[in-house]
Amino acid sequence: MLRKLWAHLMEYVTTKSKDVTLLEVLDRVLDKGVVISGDLVISLAEIDLIYVGLKVLISSVETMERLRGAPFASPMQEPT
Amino acid sequence: MRIYTYGIIDSNANIVEPISGLEGACVYNLPYRNIGAVASKLINQIKEINRDDVLKHEEVVERLMENFTVLPVRFFTTFNQEEEVLVMLKEYYQDFKENLRKLRNKVEFGIRVIWPSETIKNRIVEACKKFNADVTIPDNSPGKSFAKEKFENYKIDKEFAEEADRCIAFLDDFFSRFSAEKKLEKLKSDNLLLNAYYLVEKEKQGDFKEAFERAKNTPGDLKYLFSGPWPPYNFINLNKKPYCFKDFEGIDMLKKEMSNRDLSDKESI
Repeated sequence: MLRKLWAHLMEYVTTKSKDVTLLEVLDRVLDKGVVISGDLVISLAEIDLIYVGLKVLISSVETMERLRGAPFASPMQEPT
Repeated sequence: MRIYTYGIIDSNANIVEPISGLEGACVYNLPYRNIGAVASKLINQIKEINRDDVLKHEEVVERLMENFTVLPVRFFTTFNQEEEVLVMLKEYYQDFKENLRKLRNKVEFGIRVIWPSETIKNRIVEACKKFNADVTIPDNSPGKSFAKEKFENYKIDKEFAEEADRCIAFLDDFFSRFSAEKKLEKLKSDNLLLNAYYLVEKEKQGDFKEAFERAKNTPGDLKYLFSGPWPPYNFINLNKKPYCFKDFEGIDMLKKEMSNRDLSDKESI
C-alpha cells in the first residue's frame, strides 16, 4: 500500500516535473546508503514526532515500518 | 549531545576544506585504520525530518564526493559518543573496504520511465477481442464464460507484463553499455514502467548521458526523468548484519586496540 503510494507520488512528480530533486533526494537519503542499525536511527518510538509534509511522511513511515517490521495503522497517521 | 554521521570515506585524514553540517556544526573525520566516518556534533535532539536537514545531509555527502570515495550513511544515523562510531567502523571495516573499492570513481544515475499504461492495456484488450471474435464457444454456460473471462484477464496482464519487459530490455540496452552495475525495478505502478539505478564510472558519465539522450529521442509515448550524478546510495552491500549497541564491551576492546595501533595506518584500500 505504502509502496504503491510512493510509486504513484514518484510517477506524479515525474509527469509534472515538480519537486523532483527533493523527492529524488528523499528516495535516497531516507531509505538507502549505509544502514548500520535500526537502533541507531532516531528512536522508533518517536515516529509520531516525524512529520513535515505528506511526501516526507510517506517515505519516513514506509522506511520506519520496514525497520520496525510491523505495519502502521495508516500512512496518513497524524502526529500527536 | 550526539554524533551525527554522513558518510564513510576512503581516508583517515582530516577534512581540510571546512564543511558545515546539521545545525551549522563543523564536519570532521573520525579515522579508523585507513578509512573514516565523517560526522558532526549534534546539540539538539532531532524531532522531525525537515527539508533543510535532508538537503544538508545530501549536500555534505556530495561535498565529500568531490574529494573522496563515499559510502553515504542513511539520514538520522546518530551515535551517543565518538567511541561508538569507532566500534561501528571496526565492526564493518571489511564491508566498508570492499564497498569503497567497488565504488571508487563511480557515481549513480537514476532513470524513471513513465508509459501510457491505459493506452497499452486498451490496445491489448482490442487485440484479444479481435482474436476471440474468431473463436466460438459451443457450450456457452456461465461456468465456461467465467473461466473464459478469467483466462482473458490473465492473458491481458501477461501480455502487459511482457510488453513492459520488451520495452525495458530496449531501454536498458542503451544504458547498460556504459554502466558497471544496475538495479531495475519494473512496473512499481502501472504507469511507472521503469525505475532504474545505474552505477557509472566517472569518466563514462558523458557517454551515459548521451545514451540517455538517444533513448529519450526515440519516437514513442514514453516520458523520462533523469537524475544524477548521485553518491552511490543504491549500490552499497553490507554483508554484516546491523550492529546494535546493547552493551559497551566493544568500546573497551576498541580503546585497547586503538592504543596499540598507529592510526596513521597507510594500508591501501
